[in-house]
Amino acid sequence: MDHFAAAMIAFGIALGGGAIGAAIGDGLAGNATINGVARQPEARGTLQGIMFIIIGLCEAMYFINVAFGALFVFAIGK
Amino acid sequence: MIVFAQEPAPVSHPTVDLGCGYWCTINYDSVISSFLAIAITIAFAIFVARQLDTTKPGRLQGIIEWLFGYVQRNARENAPDATSFVVPLAATIGIYILVANWLDFLPITLIANLHPANTDLNQTLAMAIVVFVLVQWYNIRLRGWNGYFTYFVGGRPHGMSLPWRIGFIPLNLIEEIVKPVTLSMRLFGNLFAGLLMGYVIVLILGNIPLVGSWLLGPIFLALWKLFDVGFIGLIQALIFMLLTIIYFGLAREGFEAEHAH
Repeated sequence: MDHFAAAMIAFGIALGGGAIGAAIGDGLAGNATINGVARQPEARGTLQGIMFIIIGLCEAMYFINVAFGALFVFAIGK
Repeated sequence: MIVFAQEPAPVSHPTVDLGCGYWCTINYDSVISSFLAIAITIAFAIFVARQLDTTKPGRLQGIIEWLFGYVQRNARENAPDATSFVVPLAATIGIYILVANWLDFLPITLIANLHPANTDLNQTLAMAIVVFVLVQWYNIRLRGWNGYFTYFVGGRPHGMSLPWRIGFIPLNLIEEIVKPVTLSMRLFGNLFAGLLMGYVIVLILGNIPLVGSWLLGPIFLALWKLFDVGFIGLIQALIFMLLTIIYFGLAREGFEAEHAH
């Protein structure tokens, strides 16, 4: 197996693993927000703002994965 | 689409070697685009400041005042005795990153070798290091040198015996060092992945003749730009700003408990 194919497979694994983590984090954030809104409907505005920040933090890990995976693939594929 | 398709992959920056070793290089594309962002930020700030009016506040003034008040509230909650420099720092960082991200709406990548400012790791790491150094300086000013070093020994796990707390020194150090790394990687990763995604959309859809290059490609690229630059750019600017304030808050964690008696 040459280096490029190995890099592609590694990139795929990194994408999949990162997506699982980010999805779980997003789901937990959404779950907590729904619980909070159900308990205190008047806190909806604040909770939504916080939820988007948390989702941004969770997704960031995934985007770091994607960026560095792509960087390595492009660097090796050259 | 044809113009976009001829663009090289946005993975390498044009580097100028100053001729004094490995650390002496400049990515001039990041310098140009960040200078553009800085100029626009300063011009915007001066424009807003000129327009301020106590009797008849306009719509823009309302938005800016709300934003500034948001930063001020957060700073007061997290670090009440440092608002005098945390508020300007966080507000400047927030507005600058927002401007630098939203510059991506303009087709500046069409100019050869020019990339948006925050898609360079050097750029985001510089801001993160500034925040890191200021947080350490604030911590030293707050506790004194003695208190600063015992902070890493007696710090986070409260109420444990001394041998246990000494065992936690490496963890405390890592926790501190990892802050600027994650702060810079987060912004860089998001923006860079967004840029790369646009490139991949063009690469995949541009190869479909006619339908792809004239209909699907532009639509998907516009939608992706709208989501990535508009939404993610805003959220990441907000997160960078909030985390700056929160790190200042974390630096004084346990300070009241230690000095209450």
